[in-house]
Amino acid sequence: MALTLSTGSGFWNPVVWLIAIAVVVVVVYLVWRRGEAGYTAGSAQVKPFISGNAEPAKKVAQMPASNLYWGFTEALSGYYSRVVPAHTGIVTDYLLWVLWVTAALFLLVVIT
Amino acid sequence: MKPTPSFNRSLWVFHLNSGSCNGCEIEIVATLMPRYDPERFGIKLVGSPKHADVILVTGPVTKKMADRVKRTYEQVPDPKVVMCIGTCGESGGVFYDSYSLAGPIDDVIPVDVYVSGCPPRPEAIIHGVVKALAKLERLEAAP
Repeated sequence: MALTLSTGSGFWNPVVWLIAIAVVVVVVYLVWRRGEAGYTAGSAQVKPFISGNAEPAKKVAQMPASNLYWGFTEALSGYYSRVVPAHTGIVTDYLLWVLWVTAALFLLVVIT
Repeated sequence: MKPTPSFNRSLWVFHLNSGSCNGCEIEIVATLMPRYDPERFGIKLVGSPKHADVILVTGPVTKKMADRVKRTYEQVPDPKVVMCIGTCGESGGVFYDSYSLAGPIDDVIPVDVYVSGCPPRPEAIIHGVVKALAKLERLEAAP
Protein backbone atom coordinates (compact mmCIF):
# COMPACT_ATOMS: atom_id res chain seq x y z
CA MET A 1 0.00 0.00 0.00
CA ALA A 2 1.10 3.53 -0.75
CA LEU A 3 0.69 4.67 2.86
CA THR A 4 2.79 1.84 4.24
CA LEU A 5 6.09 2.79 5.78
CA SER A 6 8.43 -0.18 5.70
CA THR A 7 11.45 -0.37 7.93
CA GLY A 8 13.96 -3.10 8.52
CA SER A 9 12.03 -4.39 11.52
CA GLY A 10 8.40 -4.02 10.41
CA PHE A 11 5.88 -1.63 8.90
CA TRP A 12 3.56 1.19 9.92
CA ASN A 13 0.32 2.02 8.20
CA PRO A 14 -2.25 4.63 9.33
CA VAL A 15 -5.15 2.66 7.77
CA VAL A 16 -4.36 -0.35 9.95
CA TRP A 17 -4.39 1.92 12.98
CA LEU A 18 -7.71 3.48 11.98
CA ILE A 19 -9.26 0.02 11.57
CA ALA A 20 -7.88 -1.03 14.99
CA ILE A 21 -9.29 2.12 16.62
CA ALA A 22 -12.69 1.54 14.94
CA VAL A 23 -12.77 -2.05 16.30
CA VAL A 24 -11.94 -0.80 19.81
CA VAL A 25 -14.65 1.89 19.60
CA VAL A 26 -17.24 -0.72 18.52
CA VAL A 27 -16.26 -3.05 21.40
CA VAL A 28 -16.42 -0.15 23.90
CA TYR A 29 -19.84 0.86 22.55
CA LEU A 30 -21.17 -2.71 22.86
CA VAL A 31 -19.94 -2.95 26.47
CA TRP A 32 -21.39 0.50 27.26
CA ARG A 33 -24.75 -0.46 25.71
CA ARG A 34 -24.97 -3.51 28.00
CA GLY A 35 -24.87 -1.15 31.02
CA GLU A 36 -27.90 -0.24 33.14
CA ALA A 37 -29.61 2.72 31.54
CA GLY A 38 -32.29 3.29 34.19
CA TYR A 39 -30.22 5.07 36.78
CA THR A 40 -30.43 8.58 38.14
CA ALA A 41 -27.26 10.57 37.66
CA GLY A 42 -25.90 12.22 40.78
CA SER A 43 -27.83 9.87 43.13
CA ALA A 44 -26.64 6.98 45.29
CA GLN A 45 -27.20 4.76 42.25
CA VAL A 46 -23.87 5.85 40.78
CA LYS A 47 -21.91 5.11 43.95
CA PRO A 48 -20.18 1.74 44.35
CA PHE A 49 -22.09 -0.99 46.18
CA ILE A 50 -20.02 -2.13 49.17
CA SER A 51 -22.58 -4.43 50.81
CA GLY A 52 -24.56 -1.36 51.86
CA ASN A 53 -21.63 0.20 53.71
CA ALA A 54 -20.77 3.85 53.17
CA GLU A 55 -18.00 4.48 50.70
CA PRO A 56 -14.87 5.30 52.71
CA ALA A 57 -12.77 8.33 51.85
CA LYS A 58 -10.24 7.70 49.11
CA LYS A 59 -7.33 8.26 51.51
CA VAL A 60 -8.68 5.62 53.90
CA ALA A 61 -9.39 3.06 51.17
CA GLN A 62 -6.19 3.66 49.26
CA MET A 63 -3.61 0.90 49.51
CA PRO A 64 -0.09 2.28 49.12
CA ALA A 65 2.20 0.50 46.67
CA SER A 66 4.72 0.05 49.50
CA ASN A 67 2.39 -2.65 50.88
CA LEU A 68 3.49 -4.85 48.02
CA TYR A 69 7.04 -5.10 49.34
CA TRP A 70 6.16 -5.01 53.03
CA GLY A 71 7.84 -8.39 53.63
CA PHE A 72 11.04 -7.14 52.07
CA THR A 73 11.23 -3.99 54.19
CA GLU A 74 10.23 -5.97 57.28
CA ALA A 75 12.98 -8.55 56.70
CA LEU A 76 15.57 -5.78 56.21
CA SER A 77 14.19 -3.50 58.94
CA GLY A 78 17.57 -3.42 60.71
CA TYR A 79 19.12 -1.94 57.57
CA TYR A 80 16.24 0.43 56.82
CA SER A 81 16.10 1.76 60.39
CA ARG A 82 19.66 3.08 59.93
CA VAL A 83 19.50 4.17 56.30
CA VAL A 84 16.10 5.90 56.20
CA PRO A 85 16.97 8.56 58.88
CA ALA A 86 20.08 9.42 56.84
CA HIS A 87 17.83 10.45 53.92
CA THR A 88 17.13 13.90 55.30
CA GLY A 89 16.46 15.52 51.92
CA ILE A 90 18.99 18.26 52.73
CA VAL A 91 21.63 18.65 50.01
CA THR A 92 24.37 19.79 52.38
CA ASP A 93 23.88 16.58 54.41
CA TYR A 94 24.46 14.53 51.28
CA LEU A 95 27.53 16.58 50.38
CA LEU A 96 28.83 15.88 53.88
CA TRP A 97 28.34 12.16 53.26
CA VAL A 98 30.27 12.44 49.97
CA LEU A 99 33.03 14.31 51.78
CA TRP A 100 33.29 11.72 54.58
CA VAL A 101 33.23 8.74 52.21
CA THR A 102 35.82 10.37 49.89
CA ALA A 103 38.05 11.12 52.88
CA ALA A 104 37.68 7.54 54.13
CA LEU A 105 38.52 6.13 50.69
CA PHE A 106 41.45 8.53 50.39
CA LEU A 107 42.82 7.34 53.71
CA LEU A 108 42.31 3.74 52.69
CA VAL A 109 44.20 4.27 49.45
CA VAL A 110 47.03 6.15 51.17
CA ILE A 111 47.39 3.56 53.97
CA THR A 112 47.35 0.58 51.66
CA MET B 1 -28.31 -4.87 31.87
CA LYS B 2 -31.21 -6.55 30.08
CA PRO B 3 -30.67 -6.87 26.33
CA THR B 4 -34.12 -5.65 25.25
CA PRO B 5 -37.23 -4.22 26.96
CA SER B 6 -39.00 -7.56 26.41
CA PHE B 7 -36.82 -8.93 29.20
CA ASN B 8 -38.41 -6.49 31.66
CA ARG B 9 -40.79 -9.23 32.77
CA SER B 10 -37.76 -11.24 33.88
CA LEU B 11 -37.45 -9.92 37.39
CA TRP B 12 -33.98 -9.70 38.79
CA VAL B 13 -34.09 -9.85 42.53
CA PHE B 14 -31.64 -8.68 45.16
CA HIS B 15 -31.97 -10.23 48.59
CA LEU B 16 -31.12 -8.17 51.66
CA ASN B 17 -31.05 -9.62 55.16
CA SER B 18 -31.67 -6.83 57.65
CA GLY B 19 -31.35 -9.01 60.75
CA SER B 20 -33.40 -12.07 59.94
CA CYS B 21 -33.13 -15.39 61.83
CA ASN B 22 -32.48 -17.04 58.41
CA GLY B 23 -35.85 -18.81 58.39
CA CYS B 24 -37.02 -16.59 55.52
CA GLU B 25 -33.71 -17.12 53.73
CA ILE B 26 -34.26 -20.89 53.82
CA GLU B 27 -37.68 -20.38 52.25
CA ILE B 28 -36.27 -18.02 49.60
CA VAL B 29 -33.70 -20.67 48.70
CA ALA B 30 -36.48 -23.28 48.65
CA THR B 31 -38.38 -21.02 46.25
CA LEU B 32 -35.41 -20.96 43.89
CA MET B 33 -35.01 -24.74 43.86
CA PRO B 34 -36.15 -26.91 40.91
CA ARG B 35 -39.47 -27.74 42.60
CA TYR B 36 -40.70 -24.21 41.80
CA ASP B 37 -37.94 -23.16 39.40
CA PRO B 38 -38.75 -19.45 38.98
CA GLU B 39 -35.69 -19.03 36.77
CA ARG B 40 -37.67 -20.50 33.85
CA PHE B 41 -39.52 -17.14 33.96
CA GLY B 42 -36.24 -15.25 34.12
CA ILE B 43 -36.62 -14.57 37.85
CA LYS B 44 -33.26 -14.88 39.54
CA LEU B 45 -31.20 -13.53 42.39
CA VAL B 46 -28.51 -11.03 41.50
CA GLY B 47 -25.46 -10.06 43.51
CA SER B 48 -25.82 -6.29 43.35
CA PRO B 49 -28.78 -3.95 43.89
CA LYS B 50 -27.61 -2.07 40.81
CA HIS B 51 -28.77 -4.98 38.64
CA ALA B 52 -32.05 -5.52 40.44
CA ASP B 53 -35.70 -4.71 39.72
CA VAL B 54 -36.92 -6.03 43.05
CA ILE B 55 -35.34 -5.98 46.47
CA LEU B 56 -36.37 -8.72 48.91
CA VAL B 57 -35.89 -7.56 52.48
CA THR B 58 -36.01 -10.07 55.32
CA GLY B 59 -35.71 -9.43 59.03
CA PRO B 60 -36.96 -6.68 61.34
CA VAL B 61 -34.16 -4.15 60.50
CA THR B 62 -31.72 -3.84 63.35
CA LYS B 63 -30.26 -0.44 64.20
CA LYS B 64 -26.91 -1.50 62.77
CA MET B 65 -28.55 -2.43 59.48
CA ALA B 66 -30.87 0.57 59.05
CA ASP B 67 -28.31 2.73 57.21
CA ARG B 68 -27.24 -0.18 55.06
CA VAL B 69 -30.83 -1.00 54.14
CA LYS B 70 -31.42 2.64 53.13
CA ARG B 71 -28.21 2.78 51.13
CA THR B 72 -28.93 -0.50 49.35
CA TYR B 73 -32.49 0.64 48.53
CA GLU B 74 -31.17 3.91 47.08
CA GLN B 75 -28.80 2.00 44.81
CA VAL B 76 -31.55 0.02 43.05
CA PRO B 77 -32.33 1.68 39.71
CA ASP B 78 -35.82 3.07 39.16
CA PRO B 79 -38.49 1.79 38.80
CA LYS B 80 -38.06 -0.56 41.73
CA VAL B 81 -40.24 -2.65 43.98
CA VAL B 82 -39.54 -3.56 47.59
CA MET B 83 -40.83 -6.88 48.93
CA CYS B 84 -40.97 -7.47 52.66
CA ILE B 85 -40.59 -11.19 53.32
CA GLY B 86 -41.79 -12.48 56.67
CA THR B 87 -43.60 -11.25 59.74
CA CYS B 88 -40.48 -9.67 61.26
CA GLY B 89 -40.22 -7.16 58.45
CA GLU B 90 -43.91 -6.29 58.75
CA SER B 91 -44.14 -5.74 62.47
CA GLY B 92 -40.91 -6.79 64.13
CA GLY B 93 -42.44 -10.22 64.80
CA VAL B 94 -41.17 -11.85 67.96
CA PHE B 95 -38.52 -9.11 68.19
CA TYR B 96 -41.10 -6.28 68.10
CA ASP B 97 -40.03 -4.70 71.42
CA SER B 98 -36.31 -5.35 71.11
CA TYR B 99 -33.95 -2.51 72.08
CA SER B 100 -31.90 -3.08 68.92
CA LEU B 101 -34.59 -2.53 66.28
CA ALA B 102 -34.92 0.44 63.93
CA GLY B 103 -37.69 -1.31 61.97
CA PRO B 104 -40.09 -2.67 60.90
CA ILE B 105 -38.98 -2.30 57.29
CA ASP B 106 -41.55 0.32 56.28
CA ASP B 107 -40.18 2.61 58.99
CA VAL B 108 -36.89 2.62 57.10
CA ILE B 109 -37.76 2.30 53.38
CA PRO B 110 -41.08 2.24 51.47
CA VAL B 111 -42.46 -1.28 50.98
CA ASP B 112 -44.65 -2.29 48.02
CA VAL B 113 -45.44 -5.94 48.70
CA TYR B 114 -45.78 -7.69 52.05
CA VAL B 115 -45.46 -11.47 52.27
CA SER B 116 -46.60 -12.66 55.69
CA GLY B 117 -45.48 -15.76 57.50
CA CYS B 118 -42.86 -16.93 59.93
CA PRO B 119 -41.40 -17.93 57.59
CA PRO B 120 -43.66 -17.59 54.53
CA ARG B 121 -43.99 -20.65 52.31
CA PRO B 122 -42.42 -20.58 48.82
CA GLU B 123 -45.90 -20.39 47.26
CA ALA B 124 -46.55 -17.19 49.23
CA ILE B 125 -43.23 -15.71 48.09
CA ILE B 126 -44.04 -16.56 44.45
CA HIS B 127 -47.48 -14.96 44.89
CA GLY B 128 -45.71 -11.85 46.23
CA VAL B 129 -43.39 -11.81 43.21
CA VAL B 130 -46.43 -11.88 40.91
CA LYS B 131 -47.84 -8.87 42.79
CA ALA B 132 -44.44 -7.17 42.53
CA LEU B 133 -44.39 -7.78 38.80
CA ALA B 134 -47.83 -6.20 38.43
CA LYS B 135 -46.70 -3.18 40.45
CA LEU B 136 -43.51 -2.87 38.42
CA GLU B 137 -45.48 -2.94 35.17
CA ARG B 138 -47.68 -0.13 36.51
CA LEU B 139 -44.61 1.88 37.47
CA GLU B 140 -43.00 1.30 34.07
CA ALA B 141 -46.19 2.34 32.27
CA ALA B 142 -46.38 5.56 34.31
CA PRO B 143 -44.95 8.61 32.53
